[in-house]
Amino acid sequence: MSVLRPLDKQPGLNTATILLVGTEDALLQQLADSMLKEDCASELKVHLARSLPLPSNMNRPRIDLIMFVVNLHSKYSLRNVEESLRHVDATFFLGKVGFLATGAGRESHCSVHRSTVVRLARTYRSPLLFCDPEVDGFRVPVAQRLVRMLQICAGHVPGVSALNLLSLLRSSENPTLEDL
Amino acid sequence: GGGEGEPPQVAGAQAARPEDRLTLLLRLRAQTKQQLLEYKSMVDATEEKSPEQILQDKQVEAKIEDLENEIEEVKIAFEMKKLALDRMQLSTALKKNLEKNNPRTSVLMDNMKHILKLNKLIMKSHQESWDLEEKLLDVRKKRLQLKQASESKLLEIQTEKNKQKDDLAVMENSDKIKAIQQNLQMEIQITTVIQHVFQNLILGSKANWAEDP
Repeated sequence: MSVLRPLDKQPGLNTATILLVGTEDALLQQLADSMLKEDCASELKVHLARSLPLPSNMNRPRIDLIMFVVNLHSKYSLRNVEESLRHVDATFFLGKVGFLATGAGRESHCSVHRSTVVRLARTYRSPLLFCDPEVDGFRVPVAQRLVRMLQICAGHVPGVSALNLLSLLRSSENPTLEDL
Repeated sequence: GGGEGEPPQVAGAQAARPEDRLTLLLRLRAQTKQQLLEYKSMVDATEEKSPEQILQDKQVEAKIEDLENEIEEVKIAFEMKKLALDRMQLSTALKKNLEKNNPRTSVLMDNMKHILKLNKLIMKSHQESWDLEEKLLDVRKKRLQLKQASESKLLEIQTEKNKQKDDLAVMENSDKIKAIQQNLQMEIQITTVIQHVFQNLILGSKANWAEDP
């Protein structure tokens, strides 16, 4: 049973690695391409995975950020993500995990309710981003955000740590009507 | 931040100009420092683990929120300290700058004098408005006191009037009753006298009532 732990290996020099976990390969690939196209001073490495646990025979670099991609159109992807969450060590959730929900633009096709993902993100105390990768205008800003988050989680931005970023992002998720 | 507009192929070994190399080295240095900090804090965190296992769900939530609030407070304290330090540094730099330049003719001095003047004005206006508010408060208090005094006086007047009325009524009643009683008694006496006179008349006339009506 291999559990992903942060900071368990030495970081590569000037390298930042992100792991995208999701069931839709094409989507992950699109995101990965957009991210790699971004102009960034550090070297980016994008790993794609359908689900965790990852095969332990590979020699892979230290993972700095895990983004769980949930497609709101398919309940299977949500279940897949929930399953994979169990293979992640608790210390990862101090800012190095995020959730990305896609397909929120087409309400009619959504079989997973938006509040489910919101609750999931709140339970795990991690930031939630929304993205519609078919629309080109959305993809680039999301990729930029991801790159920035990745840089911070990898420790490439002096003065800002992943936990710091987490508490910065938290202020936007103030009590909703569900809580009151 | 990270995006410095450097071409992404910096990692490759090329005949780079010394400035590019230096920037790269400095950046890598900053990176490594930050990463070292992260590892250190991780080590510190795992050292002070307090294993209170099996907390209830609600308790865990509350504990998490407490810890998050702690983080926020620490961040705020740190920012304040940094701000204070920056201010001190700024003021010393300013002082040194002023000592170097001719202090009479710089725009900075004019600005500062203006700032001081405005500050004095602000403080004076604050003080004035404070005094006015105090006066207003005093006037209101006095008005309230006067109102209360007049209220009590009116109340007194009313009770006095009521008492007077009551007394008068009682007295009148007793007066009337006495008068009535006196009259009654007089009437009774008169009637008694008349009765006696009649009786004596009848006896004196020696007439026989029964025979001669």
